[in-house]
Amino acid sequence: MVDAVLVLFQRPNFLTFVIIFLWGFYIMLTRYNLVKKLVGMYLVQTSVIFFLVSISAKKGATVPVLLTTTDPVQAADYVNPLPHVLTLTAIVVGVATLGVALALCAAIYRKYGSLDEEEILRKLQ
Amino acid sequence: MNYHLPALLFLLPLFAAIAMPVVCLKHREWSRPISLAVLSAMVVVSVLNLNSVIQYGEVRYAFSGWAPPLGIEWVADGLASVVLVALSLLGLLSLIFAGPTAPKDLGGRVVHFYVLILLLVAALTGIAFAGDLFNLFVFLEVAAIASYGLVGVAGGPALFAAFRYLLLGTLGASLYLLGVSYFYAASGTLNMADMAEQLPHLLTSKAVVGGLLFMFIGLGIKMALVPFHVWLPDAYTHAPESVSPILAALVTKVALLGWIRIIYWVLGAQVIIHDIPVLLLMGVLGTLAAVIGAVLALMARRIKMMFAYGGISHIGIILIGVTQGNKTGFAGGVFYLLNDAVMQAALFFLAGVAICQYGVRTVEDLGHIGKQVPWLTVALIVIALGMIGLPPTGGFFGKWYIILGALEAQNYVAVAAVLLSTLLTLAYFVKVFEAMFRQRPPRSDVLQSELPFSCKLSLGVTTASIVLLGLFSDPIVQWLLTQALPPTL
Repeated sequence: MVDAVLVLFQRPNFLTFVIIFLWGFYIMLTRYNLVKKLVGMYLVQTSVIFFLVSISAKKGATVPVLLTTTDPVQAADYVNPLPHVLTLTAIVVGVATLGVALALCAAIYRKYGSLDEEEILRKLQ
Repeated sequence: MNYHLPALLFLLPLFAAIAMPVVCLKHREWSRPISLAVLSAMVVVSVLNLNSVIQYGEVRYAFSGWAPPLGIEWVADGLASVVLVALSLLGLLSLIFAGPTAPKDLGGRVVHFYVLILLLVAALTGIAFAGDLFNLFVFLEVAAIASYGLVGVAGGPALFAAFRYLLLGTLGASLYLLGVSYFYAASGTLNMADMAEQLPHLLTSKAVVGGLLFMFIGLGIKMALVPFHVWLPDAYTHAPESVSPILAALVTKVALLGWIRIIYWVLGAQVIIHDIPVLLLMGVLGTLAAVIGAVLALMARRIKMMFAYGGISHIGIILIGVTQGNKTGFAGGVFYLLNDAVMQAALFFLAGVAICQYGVRTVEDLGHIGKQVPWLTVALIVIALGMIGLPPTGGFFGKWYIILGALEAQNYVAVAAVLLSTLLTLAYFVKVFEAMFRQRPPRSDVLQSELPFSCKLSLGVTTASIVLLGLFSDPIVQWLLTQALPPTL
């Protein structure tokens, strides 16, 4: 049991990821306000991005621009740029989704005069 | 030239979608001819691409000339090319159908509609061709954002349905991305072909098992597999009549195609993780989806809701076919996927005609249309034959090969599920016909107007292709068996 807990704390970044992800998911499930749901959704997206960044962190490495042109390249000296590029794309995708979601929220508010899920469902009946 | 056809197929709708808001700012009436021209060009290019794949074998397209494990790769093989032909044809037919209905039910947002349709078609092309897991994620999201916009474009009750679709869809996309990052952490690559070489040594790794699970749940939400299907009926029911055919015909099926790619091209057919055959697990979920979807369709009252649940049950049947782990089942599943795309398009064209032209929304009210429009009844009968799976329609042969595959795999539960789902489909179409043939006085609020030619054209072509797919099922399935199988089967 103690071992399991210790293993958990060996990787604080994974633990943080799990907490943020579940927190966001919980907000998405339990809140009735649509914008609060979006906050939860954005937390979920951000947690995945955080995970991607944290697994690609590297100690003692530098930016992926070759320092010399003569020596054989030592891959261990450089940070892998690919996960960061993926992160950037994922952020762009996330922002686009959030933009569409906020636009939908605004349209819903103009139509129903409320952002509360239950009230909107009542008006939809 | 042949080498560049896949990229051309994607760039045509993408550039048109980007250019259209600028071009159509002053000339709104240009949006329709432009999109029709682009989709017609796509049909031609996709047929050329299929032809070149048949003649010269699959094309592996490396973007900007970066070699595959590092660069982004597209794979135009038999499977993707044949799906692309269906995709561009159905896209064109949906646009033709939307011509007269769009101005009415979109509330003036016609240019938005055409831009989003083109964007959706471009993204679906990307999903079908993607040879890279992260690339697949990006196109899944582009397709999803376009569909959220399309569902909500007209406003009204569809807005809330679109919002719920967005919440669930984004959760699915996040889970898929999480799965991809697990796979990346375990194997150090994103290219499907490269990963397929790395994974056999890594199958006991928890990262791969977890990543597979997350990817499956993520794509399960996108393809509306049964426990994750809740967004689909509302979104498709409330979506504008011009929008729902293309969404129902293509979005879930192409997400399923993405899953087929991962399970067969990346993992390999016979993969067993911790004594659990992955395919068997997916087959069980497909079995559940096939039956539960049909039961829910039987209970639905609205026409579009019933057809949407029918689509959910058919996703299950396709999944049963492709997870039998043998050639017959796989070819049957892919053939049924093509059929189902055509049938869903035809069903929602029909529902769109019923709603737009006759103001009929529920199944009971169908009696008000009844005998005045005989050819509508004929179309419904043909589509019903296809959905139930009676010869000579394509639906029959698809189910036939799926059942043959399941028998070959000695998976009798799957056979029973397909048969049970067929019976339930028969039951809900009996309900439709019962309502249709019951004589009812024509209601005053039921509009009686002549159908526009374009509605007749798109409904006629899809209905005819349901029968044609059945008549030519043998050569098509033989071709799928030789050209579109995964290398591991």
